[in-house]
Amino acid sequence: MFKFLAQTFVNGINVGALYGLAAVGLSLIFGVMRILNVAHGEFLMIGGYIGFWLFTLYGLDPFMGLPLVAIFLFLFGAVFYKVVFARVARFHEELKLKNSLLIGFGLYLIFPQIAMVLWTSDERAISPVYSGKAFGILGLRFGYVPLGGILVALIVIIALQLFLTKTYFGKSLRGTAENWKAAKLSGIDIDRTFMITFGLGISLAGLAGVLIGLIQELTPVMGIPWTLKALVVVVLAGMGSIGGAFIAGLILGIVEAVSAIFMGPYTIAIGMLIFLIILMVRPQGLFGRT
Amino acid sequence: MTDNWKRISVGGGILALLVILPLITMRSDILTWSCLTLQYILLSQSWNIIGGYAGQVNLGHAAFFGLGALTTRYLWLSALPLPFALLAGALMATAFALLIGIPAFRLRGIYFVIGTLVLAEILKVVVDTRLPVASVLPAPILATYSVVPRYYISLIGAVLAVATVYGIHHSKLGLGMIAIRENEDAAKTSGVNILKYKLVALAISTFLAGLAGGIFAFYMIAIQPGYVFAPVWTFDPVIIVFIGGIGTIIGPLIGSIFFVLLKQWMSLYLPGGFHLAVFGVLFILVVLYLPDGLIEVIRRHTKSIKAFG
Amino acid sequence: MLEVSNIDVYHGDLKALWNISFQLNEGEVVALIGSNGAGKSTLLETIAGLLIPAAGSVVFDGIRLDRKPSQRIVQLGVSLVPEDKGIFPYMSVLENLELGAFNKRGRRLKDETLKLVYGLFPILKDRGSQPAGTLSGGEQQMLAVGKGLLSRPKLLMLDEPSMGLAPLVIRNIFEAIYQINRIGVSILLVEQNVRIALSIANRAYIIENGRIVHHGDSKNLLTDEKVRHAYLGTLSI
Repeated sequence: MFKFLAQTFVNGINVGALYGLAAVGLSLIFGVMRILNVAHGEFLMIGGYIGFWLFTLYGLDPFMGLPLVAIFLFLFGAVFYKVVFARVARFHEELKLKNSLLIGFGLYLIFPQIAMVLWTSDERAISPVYSGKAFGILGLRFGYVPLGGILVALIVIIALQLFLTKTYFGKSLRGTAENWKAAKLSGIDIDRTFMITFGLGISLAGLAGVLIGLIQELTPVMGIPWTLKALVVVVLAGMGSIGGAFIAGLILGIVEAVSAIFMGPYTIAIGMLIFLIILMVRPQGLFGRT
Repeated sequence: MTDNWKRISVGGGILALLVILPLITMRSDILTWSCLTLQYILLSQSWNIIGGYAGQVNLGHAAFFGLGALTTRYLWLSALPLPFALLAGALMATAFALLIGIPAFRLRGIYFVIGTLVLAEILKVVVDTRLPVASVLPAPILATYSVVPRYYISLIGAVLAVATVYGIHHSKLGLGMIAIRENEDAAKTSGVNILKYKLVALAISTFLAGLAGGIFAFYMIAIQPGYVFAPVWTFDPVIIVFIGGIGTIIGPLIGSIFFVLLKQWMSLYLPGGFHLAVFGVLFILVVLYLPDGLIEVIRRHTKSIKAFG
Repeated sequence: MLEVSNIDVYHGDLKALWNISFQLNEGEVVALIGSNGAGKSTLLETIAGLLIPAAGSVVFDGIRLDRKPSQRIVQLGVSLVPEDKGIFPYMSVLENLELGAFNKRGRRLKDETLKLVYGLFPILKDRGSQPAGTLSGGEQQMLAVGKGLLSRPKLLMLDEPSMGLAPLVIRNIFEAIYQINRIGVSILLVEQNVRIALSIANRAYIIENGRIVHHGDSKNLLTDEKVRHAYLGTLSI
């Protein structure tokens, strides 16, 4: 019984790490730009498919391919921002939020269609040789791939934290998030900051996408469910808390895995439950500032 | 005064035409097309109330459409008279809406957005898993299936929707909603009860959306239960409202007609669901470059025409 | 050095500034005085690049500032310390100062400027690692001024530095402003506290309802009957 629970715990962390990684990008974009990217999952999907392509067309090991995916999605995100969101980002906060929501919603419909054209609606998975392999400790099964995913997620998040706290540009991102007017007056180029932030956030989504493709399947309609997960994690963590988003992701993963035991197909409703509880009891989330 | 009389007589004329339509034509395609358009009018006006007038972006509208649809469908097929089934569906939608709205509206706007998105997606997944089999009308009902009663119910729904929006537009409620939409902080300091107005707008909006779902459930011969929660049922009314003119009475009317026509036309030339992508692009363009919709374009044109004498 | 010519500025649909013209010469301390809502902040924000004038021009050292992005204006040597202090509340005092030096010139001279700022406001060094939001009002104002200085401006603009501060703290801050001017930074000062503004400024302009209604040397304005009556009458010595 205990072993069963422990294994569930491990499985929950495996998925939770990905929830966290998916949420961190979303949190970053919202924290700095006050734009809620409801199409975050769509970019995640694109990243996953690119990783899939690199693997099946060029035989590039998905973990090796991560930096490529990250760079490509970064550029894609930056360009996307310039072309689509830049106009909106200059509005004042309420209007900016509304318009960006609508635009993101429009992307819901465009991306899956493009994905269907490029990759068909068949499920795809990235399955390198070591895919199903695992090792055991104390009778618990630890898959190589999920473990790799957790490791990557940890490295990326730590790197992000270092970037935000130790580098000048990273500090300017935090400054912009706290007080964009003051950031402007300090000589920070807000437009460029937004562009890079968006690219960074999308890049993180893409990384998550590849890791997801390794342990689950990729489909053209996976964007919405993953956006949903990321949103719940961001609310749970608290808006603007980036390191906290990862931990909240782990928590959600574990809670879901444990609930699945007795909730079965209704497990997804856990997200709604958590959301409502946070709203009513602690709106600023676990780690957010009031 | 004559302007008003003109509007009333034009509106009345159109309404009269719509009422006698099934009597003057036997073509089922015209009836079907009109039926769908009327349902879209109802659904889009319902979003117009919360999104257009109150300015709260509801991206999970499909949740309420779906709740109305499923509730009505199962109650009606369980021999509950249609009017009660429709009412129950609409109320079910409103109940869920308030479940989200009451905690969410006390906080910043994004919580409402996230909440409705999450609700729609969760309902879809749960229903898809638990009710994977399509619901088909049983033989006795199928035998006597006719578009005509469904047409009239859709007409009633559409008229109800337009009347509601008209009523809101000319009421204190509407003023309050618009004030909140334009500048929430200023509205609060002017003494507007933000929470109350938002909840009322949400309740009316989702009631109508649930009604639209119920009418849809009555209209369709076969329904895949999860389908009524699909994002298209949020997207369609939103794009209709934006194309037509957000926060106006006539906007969704124009938008609905335009939308249904465009959709028909596109489905002839574009494969599968690709017309969705086209609508997506169109929508983004409208949001970026034409946020006031066709109505504004028309207004500007008629103004320039008037200016010339 | 700074030449503002005939600018009109709108806040949305409302006109805030009407045909404003004034100049500031290198090394000067110029004060803009006037009551609440007169348009003083709007004027500074326009020069800093946060607002774009509907008409007229702003020229600094021969270069037009209006219509340039704000970060470019900071690079050119004009810095604004806004009324709300413009600090980053959750970041440390040191981080705030460092971000003030974000532009190229500031970064190059950062260490030297930090020493200067600590010399003027030693308490900022003591509180270096504290979140800026936990500082007292006076300390936050010192931080704001220090942050502005870290951009190594040629012209430092200050919006109501005395706002909400105790007299002793005000004196401290204005002492520092005087020192900053002594090392060669020109100062454009917006103040409601007319007495202290005129005590430090060479010249002053009086703004009412978005228009300049009077200007002159501080000495003359202090003894001017109209000014005394309108602005100095209710102030205690």
